[in-house]
Amino acid sequence: MQGDATLGTTKRLSIGVKGAAPYQLAAPALLFVLVFLLLPLVMMLRLSFFRYDPAQMFIEAFTLDNYVKFFKDEFYQQVLWRTLWIASVTTAFCLVGGVLVAYYIARTRSAALRRYLIVAIVLPLFMGNVVRTAGWIIVLDNGGLLNFLLVRFGIVPEAIRFLYTPGAVIAALISVLLPYMIVTLNSVMQNIDISLEEASLNLGASPFTTFRRVVLPLLLPGIFAGSVLCFILSMNAYATPVLVGGPEFHMMAPTIYLQMSANMNWPFGSALAFVLIALTMLLTIGSSIVFNRSTRASA
Amino acid sequence: MKDVILQKLARGAYLSSVWLIILFVLFPLAITFWVAFFSNRIMSFPPEGYTSSWFLQAWSLAAFRDGFLLSLKVAICASLLAILLATPAGLAIARYRFRGREMINTILMSPLMIPAIVSGSAIYLFYIDLQVRSNVQFASTFYGLVIAHTLIAIPWVLRLMIASLAGLNPSIEEASLSLGAGRLTTFFRITFPMIRPGMTAGALFGFIASFGDLEKSLLIVGPGRITLPISMLNYLQYRTDPTIMAVATIQILLIGCALIISDRYVRLSKTF
Repeated sequence: MQGDATLGTTKRLSIGVKGAAPYQLAAPALLFVLVFLLLPLVMMLRLSFFRYDPAQMFIEAFTLDNYVKFFKDEFYQQVLWRTLWIASVTTAFCLVGGVLVAYYIARTRSAALRRYLIVAIVLPLFMGNVVRTAGWIIVLDNGGLLNFLLVRFGIVPEAIRFLYTPGAVIAALISVLLPYMIVTLNSVMQNIDISLEEASLNLGASPFTTFRRVVLPLLLPGIFAGSVLCFILSMNAYATPVLVGGPEFHMMAPTIYLQMSANMNWPFGSALAFVLIALTMLLTIGSSIVFNRSTRASA
Repeated sequence: MKDVILQKLARGAYLSSVWLIILFVLFPLAITFWVAFFSNRIMSFPPEGYTSSWFLQAWSLAAFRDGFLLSLKVAICASLLAILLATPAGLAIARYRFRGREMINTILMSPLMIPAIVSGSAIYLFYIDLQVRSNVQFASTFYGLVIAHTLIAIPWVLRLMIASLAGLNPSIEEASLSLGAGRLTTFFRITFPMIRPGMTAGALFGFIASFGDLEKSLLIVGPGRITLPISMLNYLQYRTDPTIMAVATIQILLIGCALIISDRYVRLSKTF
């Protein structure tokens, strides 16, 4: 009896004390990510201050030349601005479309329809961006569906070049990124109490006023999170600008790849990569500060 | 009367724009299926007829067959490795409150947050550095790819493990321990059956994320060792024809199946 009791206590203690256990459990994964992701990132940061040398690849140094080159060279300025405006326009369209669809999904009366719609929106997320962009090539190509329909119905006399234009990139990006916005907004919509809207409608507000004055303010956290996500993802997009934008359409991610592979200018490529990371982080943190301030002001 | 008509019109506009937007998202996938069966040799409309021969044609092209098999192998190895690494971590984060828990969670989720082209470049340069230092080649090897893809899978395994553990009561395990079962017995008889759905779903999502990955692998693949998404990208940059759409259709079907299976373990409509 005595023995059993002691055994019981030690076992309870081993659960209660916990101590090193969680660290031991988390250690393998943590080590893996630290060694194969964070250490390489630190090394790349260091490399971005090296000097490029065509013969030796790079020379160990501590110079800001690579960053100065990025911010001075007109070509890279254009790459940066093009990336930023494409990302802004894409995000704006995703936001408008996302709000409409997320509101519909959350407020549809049929539970089955809601479930099918969510699955239909989530499925494309996992199909891979190459496959999802491939469909847009079929639509936008000179011999593609859109041109076929336009010519067939006599709207235009001959095929228009859609592929390799900024508009095509934006359209394809919106289609690829909309599910992220819808899924983010939907998770917030689910928690908005429908009786608030019913009360507003009962008190005589129109559906549009109800949406604008009741739903939209409650949806703000989702709008914020979804927009930041879409903006970051379109800034980092690779497959869509390469396939739909063509070889002359330079955005940040393909430019980084070019520096790392064909140009073999690793220090400059690393600097570009860190400009992209820094911009991403700056936008995330900056917008969350602005968001927190504006919600506090309105509260 | 006018108001009613206006309201009806507004509602019609709202509903039709909702369905147009949903169509806008799904259409590119649907049209891929359709064009894969065209008998036209080059991409053109309208279809001259229908055939399924492009699927055989796709399989006969080494770039696609090898790419498919490589992506499959890499994705299976990476998701298994991610399960081994991230399941204990998921248990720790879901079950224990400890110093640095938030930070460890953030670090383990970071492969999902850091732009893929940036982390892909960093891993590539790291491999080159290792090779210069120790003469062991990682870049353009199978193991190099598996390591990079394990990073892709870890956040998914972790996320789904934590989500599935959130609803379980730890006192069941405590009961097992206090009733005299050993730690190992408790793990295999109690804990493991409870976390198995989360593990399976995590592995499936890890597999899917790894199989579709483009950016992280771009620099790591080498001659004769190119994953399917990269083969497709290379092909699409020069030509569009029903063959490539057949390949895309196969990828859509494979990932679709994986998603339907994982839907049995974690409801997609509840997870997202």
